[in-house]
Amino acid sequence: MKTAGGTHAQRRTDPCRVPGAVFAVLLTAASASGQEAADFFRQNCISCHTIGGGRLTGPDLKDVGKRKDRAWHLRFLQNPQAMIDSGDPYVLQLQQQARGQVMPTITGMNTARAEALLGLIEAESKLEKSQFVGLQITDRPFTAEDYAEGKSLFVGAKRLAKAGPACISCHTLKDLGGLGGGRLGPDLSRVFERMEGRRNLGAWLMAPVTPTMQPIFKQHPLQPEEILPLLAVFEETAKQGSDDVSVALLNFFFLGLGGMVIGLVSIDALWKGRFRAVRRPLLMESATRSGR
Amino acid sequence: MNVRSQVAMVFHLDKCIGCHTCSIACKNIWTDRKGTEYMWWNNVETKPGCGYPAKWEDQEKFSGGWEMPDGRLRLKSTGKGRIVFNIFHNPHMPSMDDYYEPWTYDYQHLFNAPEGEDQPTAVPISMVTGELINIESGPNWDDDLSGSPVYAENDPNLAGLSEEQRRQLVAIERLVFFYFPRICNHCLNPACVASCPSGALYKRGEDGIVLLDQKRCRAWRACIAACPYKKVFFNWFTGKSEKCILCFPRVETGQAPACFHSCVGRIRYLGVLLYDAERVEAAARSSQEDLIEAHRSLILDPNDPEVMAQARANGIHDSVIESARKSPVYKFVKVWKMALPPHIEFRTLPMLFYVPPMAPVMAVKEGDAVDHVSGELFHDIDESRVPMKFLANLLGGGHEAKVRYALRKQKAVRWYRRAVTVGDVDMPTAERMLREADSSIEEAEAIYRLTSLCTFEDRFVIPPAHREQAIEMLQDPMERKESAGFGFLSGPTRGL
Repeated sequence: MKTAGGTHAQRRTDPCRVPGAVFAVLLTAASASGQEAADFFRQNCISCHTIGGGRLTGPDLKDVGKRKDRAWHLRFLQNPQAMIDSGDPYVLQLQQQARGQVMPTITGMNTARAEALLGLIEAESKLEKSQFVGLQITDRPFTAEDYAEGKSLFVGAKRLAKAGPACISCHTLKDLGGLGGGRLGPDLSRVFERMEGRRNLGAWLMAPVTPTMQPIFKQHPLQPEEILPLLAVFEETAKQGSDDVSVALLNFFFLGLGGMVIGLVSIDALWKGRFRAVRRPLLMESATRSGR
Repeated sequence: MNVRSQVAMVFHLDKCIGCHTCSIACKNIWTDRKGTEYMWWNNVETKPGCGYPAKWEDQEKFSGGWEMPDGRLRLKSTGKGRIVFNIFHNPHMPSMDDYYEPWTYDYQHLFNAPEGEDQPTAVPISMVTGELINIESGPNWDDDLSGSPVYAENDPNLAGLSEEQRRQLVAIERLVFFYFPRICNHCLNPACVASCPSGALYKRGEDGIVLLDQKRCRAWRACIAACPYKKVFFNWFTGKSEKCILCFPRVETGQAPACFHSCVGRIRYLGVLLYDAERVEAAARSSQEDLIEAHRSLILDPNDPEVMAQARANGIHDSVIESARKSPVYKFVKVWKMALPPHIEFRTLPMLFYVPPMAPVMAVKEGDAVDHVSGELFHDIDESRVPMKFLANLLGGGHEAKVRYALRKQKAVRWYRRAVTVGDVDMPTAERMLREADSSIEEAEAIYRLTSLCTFEDRFVIPPAHREQAIEMLQDPMERKESAGFGFLSGPTRGL
């Protein structure tokens, strides 16, 4: 009886509690979503977009809500590729402006996020100066010091301020010397041309969005004072024009092959006696003797 | 003194006729399984010859046994440090070619061949690959092939023989050979046991039989390289090493091992020896000259009251001590000093001893007549067709005196028996020869009896196994009785 009574009492109180709880959850969610949207924007969008800072790879997003309706934006944000496939004329125009670049489908994007992002852009557009106006990079010509600094950052001679891994771990550059850099990421010799100048490339370096780089540099972002020298290096390398990188790859391959052959030959020479056939040499020896 | 007992063996080479019955008996019982086709735990070699595997005696090639570079015993093949460099490739092992590739014949073809002009034949097939093979060697390829320019000439025991002696060995009318049956020596200082990184090999406490635990073997094959007699084999099917087990299931039930039992020439003797385990290492470390004596001195007199008391204190049963007193091996090795260990210089202290063979008299051909060098019926030992140095390399650790002693005693016994039974030799000469051979009429009679008239019971004095006591070393016998049943058959398989 006691147990039954207890259960009954509990059931009765529950409905009273629910609205309060839901309200509390919604409140936290709302305030959190503002902050979360800003973080999300910083991690995923600023490498291509600014708000009121001018065009990068993608268009300036200031007052983007006035260009198309909200439903269109929600659809686009969640699947840009589908919109292109559908042949939407505005999207095709955007693609042309971006010289063929397509906005990638962002991991973790959903309707709630898209809503929050649109809200964020709208709010930021109203401000005099948005926090996402983008990295303001000087237009002054790079000096030799910038280049030297950038080179030492690239090869890891100087540590990155936030302890990120040096570029050379995954990327290579023309004229790097030795065996070059890593082959996991693309060759960066012409990245300056590919990304169309220091503004785009600089913005990209602020928050790299590729699946390999993003998880690493989310925790250890590059600092503006590091990006500038790196840009100097990329610009300088791009100016020199690039050779065929396959030569370097081929060299690397032949060096490895040669090293292996030398290693095997030296093991063979050092350990001559490892095969010690006994019976067959006896026969051969006897055959040579009787043949003589 | 730390008295232990060991079942030891004597092979009387003068009686071996090289019929290979022992090998077949062993093969049929133990090594007719898959993966063991090439193994001959018991094999009979023709000497001079290279044996099986080819040139097993040449430790420059196979690195078996012990060496003493700095006065301390060290395995020639491996060591705690050295094993690291050979962990994936042990360079000292005989290859399949050094043994031989086992084969059978395609007998079905005899029945199934299509009708044709010729009789169908059964072609040889490899028992390893199943493919047709061209037979190039066998487990006894040089059988009776003394004088062959390949096998006989490369016998490692020919070391130290002069060019003249070597030529004589292969000359027509002087050709000579004898047989050398071999099984595991169940050594006192076994290199195989010392080399095993898994501790799979062990020397059984109660009777000294060296065994290999199939459950513990991890296929390192260190034992195969370490055994200087090449009597541990690798089963390529189960991935475990195997060796002669001295038919311990038979010995435990009072029967002689199969090769002993089946021996046509009755050359094999088996009996218990009591030895001093305390001095084994010291004996193995003694200088090359003293090795045979040091080895012999380990064997204790089972009639000595102190030895008997110590043996009893060590838990050796009275019936085993009694058996040791009747041991034919003790007589051959210790009392008559006629049986010698093979290649004692490997320092494993083998517990299988050989009575060296008497060889035919040397003959020379003059015109059409063949003339014996010695006019005497039983020629002088040193005039034998087999150079003394050859036998000394094989059985005397390189020293001729021990072999000469054994052969002279045999010869004296023959003279004595000739005087008794035929009478064309006078007795005083026979007695003088016995004296010169460090023997007596009583001893000659005993040697003659144990050599020629030996019964089954004389040759095989097998101690009662006393498994109930032996097991006490490891387990409570009552617990064993309660827990052991028929069990489950789980054969050895590759892997851990």
